[in-house]
Amino acid sequence: MAAEPRPALQVDGVTRRFGAVTALADAWLKVPPGEFLTLLGPSGCGKSTLLNLIAGFLEPDQGEIFIDGALVTEVPVWQRGIGMVFQNYALFPHMTVAKNVAYGLAARRVPREEAARRVAEALALVKLTGMEERKPRQLSGGQQQRVALARALVIRPKLLLLDEPFSALDRNLRGAMQVELREIQRSLGIATVFVTHDQGEALSMSDRVAVMSEGRIRQVGTPEAIYRRPADRFVAEFVGDVNRLPARLVAVEGETALVECGACRLSVPAAPLAAAAAGTAVDLFLRPEQIRTAPPGTPGLTEAVVAARAFHGDHADLHCDAPGMAQRLLLRVPGHAAEGPGARLALLPDPSADAVAFPISG
Amino acid sequence: MGKRPFLGWFVTPGALCALGFAAAMAAVLQYAFRAHIPGSLEVGGFTWANFEGMLRPLYATVFLQTVWLCALTAFFSLLLGYPLAHALVHARSTAWKSVLLVVAVTPLFLGEVVRTYSWLTVLGNSGFVNGALLWLGLIDGPIQFMFTRFGVALALVHVTLPVMVIMLAAALSHIDRDYERAAHSLGAGPVRSFLTVTLPLSMPGILAGTGTAFAWTFSAFATPQIIGGGRVNMVSNLVYQLGFSSFNFPFAASLSIVGLALTAAVLGLLRIGTMRLERVGT
Ligand SMILES: Nc1ncnc2c1ncn2[C@@H]1O[C@H](COP(=O)(O)OP(=O)(O)OP(=O)(O)O)[C@@H](O)[C@H]1O
Ligand SMILES: [Mg+2]
Repeated sequence: MAAEPRPALQVDGVTRRFGAVTALADAWLKVPPGEFLTLLGPSGCGKSTLLNLIAGFLEPDQGEIFIDGALVTEVPVWQRGIGMVFQNYALFPHMTVAKNVAYGLAARRVPREEAARRVAEALALVKLTGMEERKPRQLSGGQQQRVALARALVIRPKLLLLDEPFSALDRNLRGAMQVELREIQRSLGIATVFVTHDQGEALSMSDRVAVMSEGRIRQVGTPEAIYRRPADRFVAEFVGDVNRLPARLVAVEGETALVECGACRLSVPAAPLAAAAAGTAVDLFLRPEQIRTAPPGTPGLTEAVVAARAFHGDHADLHCDAPGMAQRLLLRVPGHAAEGPGARLALLPDPSADAVAFPISG
Repeated sequence: MGKRPFLGWFVTPGALCALGFAAAMAAVLQYAFRAHIPGSLEVGGFTWANFEGMLRPLYATVFLQTVWLCALTAFFSLLLGYPLAHALVHARSTAWKSVLLVVAVTPLFLGEVVRTYSWLTVLGNSGFVNGALLWLGLIDGPIQFMFTRFGVALALVHVTLPVMVIMLAAALSHIDRDYERAAHSLGAGPVRSFLTVTLPLSMPGILAGTGTAFAWTFSAFATPQIIGGGRVNMVSNLVYQLGFSSFNFPFAASLSIVGLALTAAVLGLLRIGTMRLERVGT
């Protein structure tokens, strides 16, 4: 086997506490060169803590951090060779755009002509040529964002860190910036750690996503793997919409397990059910687009009544009430499907569905 | 006002005070242009003589000395106050913060006379400093601190420091810490990030603090009176001597007016400076 390339970032068992709060517990992470990794999780789960530990704004209580193969746990921020984009951009208000972008080059004592050339290149990269002499407050939010990005990239960092950089932008601009950031990141081939609590942003932008909750990294994987094979109940519920149905574990056969829900049997990954005995009740998770409808009376997962229908153009969401279920079920059907409120349906799993099941949490 | 007639009652005390102050100012102002009749508290007719008299070297030196002492005081309280304010704003533990706050602000609550007398016990020929230096054998005889400009300046800095620290701390606490963090992430160490980011961003606070310290010191009376002992005089000491020893109220009044105008001019200049800073920066 070929030797693994030296990771751009490696986080080895890092723990950080604030008083009684464990903001980050035993985090392990490896980011290969050029990868775009997103830290995704709800507010307070420790995303910023992990990013600040990587940047060096915080010191870990335990564990080590390596950037580009070098141990940096004890290295101060200004010697780590990182580029960082802050949530509020943190552009120096008393400096022009050009001075802001040149700041990191001046700190590195890059000769004047070379610095001027690199600043011009960086501003061209973020499409801000001609704005050199403006002050940050004379720029729109999106333009400030680009300056912040240019300022972080011009120093050719070994690692680019971004903490919720788009949260202050309106939706349209955010979409455009997401595409643009990804393009720039790919063209420079710079390893990037991106923080967000927006799962849509995480799924659409990332090479891999690390889902976090309560100070722990729950799962690291490609957006597809996270969505289709969530490792635990938290990931399944946090990433994307999902339906939870009562089911029973029938048997475990190697990698897969068989669960029974209503009149249907589905195979699911066995790993999360390793500790459950056959016959025990489990929760079955199915995505809204993985449930099909059939005329009432068809043997399936359950029968349901459509309570509300929300039209979204290419698809429609059906909110259904099913007997014995506390939560409404969400179905995603083609936009032209006719089922409306009051319709009785039988629900079946899509044959290609990636169903997952977890033991009922105690 | 029409619907809430009682508001008028609340305004009355303030209006009365303002009226009182205005009347006093008017009195001082008109005294400044009256002739002094030696040996009498009555004043004579209109004259410019008081202002011309001020140009005599004896008085002009006091003005220069006052401006010089104000500048020195403002400068040294800035020099001492900045690190204190910085530490106060950036201290991590609340206990350490409280200690710094107490150290920085207590002079404000001591009262000028008490505070000045305590300097006597420190700076006097048999005071703490000289005693310690003599005991250590570093000096042979006591160093003269009392009745010197240095002694006066030292005590004035002590008086002015709390105001300076409070104003600088207010300015520093309004600077987003992310600027400093951004500077660090871009490769700037603590010194560079301080000089290129924190210091320029705190410039409005520095100007405001120095201006206030200057104006605050201009009106100092007890400190130069006691520590200067008549040998280091400031404008207010001169006003006192002229008013209460020579009973030359017109001249004392004209000195006060010029002092006031000078202070106002300095504050005005600083205001212009701050406005320019705001237009260019932040
Ligand atoms: N400086 C600090 N002092 C004390 N507690 C802190 C500190 N910083 C973070 N915490 C705590 O650590 C936990 C994780 O915080 P963190 O800022 O990493 O969350 P986050 O995932 O970035 O959340 P958000 O999406 O709201 O930014 C929280 O419970 C928070 O209250
Ligand atoms: Mg955060």
